[in-house]
Amino acid sequence: MRVWYFSEMAYHPSWEKGLKTGSLRVNFPNKAVDPHEAHKLLHRYLDEFRACDEAGLDIMVNEHHSTATCMTVSVPMALAIIARETKTSRLLSLGNPIANRPDPVRVAEEMAWLDVLSGGRLEMGLVKGAPYEIHPANSNPARLMRRYWEAHDLIVKALSTTDGPFNWEGEYFHYRNVNIWPRPIQQPTPPIWMTGLSVESGIMAAERGHVIGTLLSGSAAGPMFSAYRKRSAELGRTAGTDRFAYAACVGVGATRAEGYRRADIIAEYVRTSVVVAEPFTNPPGYNSVNANVAMMKGGSKGFVKDRLGNPVDQRTATLEQFMDAGTVFAGSPDDVYTQIKALNDRVGGIGHLLFFGQGGHLDHKDTLENIRLFGREVMPRLRELNPAPSQKQAAAE
Amino acid sequence: MPKTCKVSGVDLELEERGKGRPLLFLHAGEGLGADRPWLERLAQKFRVIAPAHPGFGGSALPDWIGTVEDLAYLYLDLAAKLELKDAVLVGASFGGWIAAEMAVRNTAAFSNIVLAAPLGIKNGSHTDRDIADMHSLSREEVVARAWADPTKGHFDAARFSDAELAQIARGRESLALFGWKPYMHNPRLKRWLHRIDKPTLLLWGDHDRIVTPAYGQGFVSEIKSARLEVIKDCGHYPAWEQPTAFAEHIAGFAA
Repeated sequence: MRVWYFSEMAYHPSWEKGLKTGSLRVNFPNKAVDPHEAHKLLHRYLDEFRACDEAGLDIMVNEHHSTATCMTVSVPMALAIIARETKTSRLLSLGNPIANRPDPVRVAEEMAWLDVLSGGRLEMGLVKGAPYEIHPANSNPARLMRRYWEAHDLIVKALSTTDGPFNWEGEYFHYRNVNIWPRPIQQPTPPIWMTGLSVESGIMAAERGHVIGTLLSGSAAGPMFSAYRKRSAELGRTAGTDRFAYAACVGVGATRAEGYRRADIIAEYVRTSVVVAEPFTNPPGYNSVNANVAMMKGGSKGFVKDRLGNPVDQRTATLEQFMDAGTVFAGSPDDVYTQIKALNDRVGGIGHLLFFGQGGHLDHKDTLENIRLFGREVMPRLRELNPAPSQKQAAAE
Repeated sequence: MPKTCKVSGVDLELEERGKGRPLLFLHAGEGLGADRPWLERLAQKFRVIAPAHPGFGGSALPDWIGTVEDLAYLYLDLAAKLELKDAVLVGASFGGWIAAEMAVRNTAAFSNIVLAAPLGIKNGSHTDRDIADMHSLSREEVVARAWADPTKGHFDAARFSDAELAQIARGRESLALFGWKPYMHNPRLKRWLHRIDKPTLLLWGDHDRIVTPAYGQGFVSEIKSARLEVIKDCGHYPAWEQPTAFAEHIAGFAA
């Protein structure tokens, strides 16, 4: 198993204010940001990413918009800095919300540039994005995935074509001259990742052989991974564990109590990140008709469920509830390893843990200790669990 | 009972009732609605033809349809197929936008045009919100802006079967497809409104705060023979909130 540290680079100093207004995203006015405080925080967070290289961890960066929960507005911008500051970590962009991007060729250029800059360490996530990203981008939520797939196919073609230029006259995107310079080191493209929560996402990723990542809910991961394996088998392929990624908050400490304390602070991120004004949570067309019917009948219950399948309210869940749901791994290094192993077994094997190791109020010292202790005490044992194929092997396959 | 009519390869669900002059009714973004009080009232004077737009109700939404321009041509084809002559074209809200797009292209089948709180044009500056952003406001706020009596606008999912809820969800998605960006308007439409060469009635609820009567002046100023009439105690949906007055205004105008 590989482990990818990530942090959303939150602007937590304004969370309390946002919670009082009922929305941390989209319509929370940005006067609640002190840009000088943000300056300090961004440097601090980038230092924490750098520490992962020394700790033997890989690095993931994501992005959100118009929100106090995440100051990363551009994955490529953050990864460009991190690529220069690290030597061995692989760098995962998870990712570019390509159905919200007006210019897929620009995405391909940025990804190729990052792959070149990092010496071929890039992994490239092409994601649908969360529902509350629709309004800041003002992308049409109807036919979102149709636009996603056109952008996806164009990006893959732009990265892998070496004898261009080629033209592209599609439904959504139009170019007369695609010919990106430089081209990526990893050919035909850096490894491609998708994200999802549903069986349908598992099937779509399986058909392309992409890595599929999900988050915070063992109950969602299990059926999605299972659908991926089944679809792969139908297509005559074996889906190795390296096709599956799972994101969870992790708090590890020298003692169980210290690990719980850190995890509970990080979990505060999960409790607050869903606080967003109602109209932005379900733009029409983002979710399927069937999902919308269920929401109209029963209200939205969220996707995090406990082991018995009961919904867990992200806003109010206790650390214990989150641990039961697979949202959080917490405790001593032994505890954390045991919990990750249990989830791994429950969902049929995961090849990548997306280690959400800093959330909001967890301070710099605690974050560094969380990263280093994980790297020293947990990481070596996880490497033995579902060992990752070497990059050369992966490239040969 | 609704029937199905194939127009330019698209299966449209169609409600048809009454006798007399044909009246093509183009519904608002909320669909034909479970309650259709406007239908029987209009049907006392007209032969009402009310299609569900592609993606709404039981109408198909083929991949190749995705703009209001497509809908305008589709309904012009419908008018030709039904051989409509001397007909009344009525469009409500989103349907008013479609009707205006039809009328700038071809009014041959129609003698009168009624636009009831139509969307579709841009009047103000870049930062003026001409059309309330129904997709950014809470449901309560949308209802408060759209109804003179907000209690009438309450949505009760328990009234509907799963199949009906699925149609409602599909309709909401379709409305987004046609009107998300630019938001519920065509930046070029106002420039071409002068081409509408038939008497045109703008109908507006005095309590409409989705688009106010002042927004309607943008149509009145561009369409040569247009006038605007206000319906009292009425919000954005005269056909639903004041169906009797709605039908009377239309009958008086198109008599």
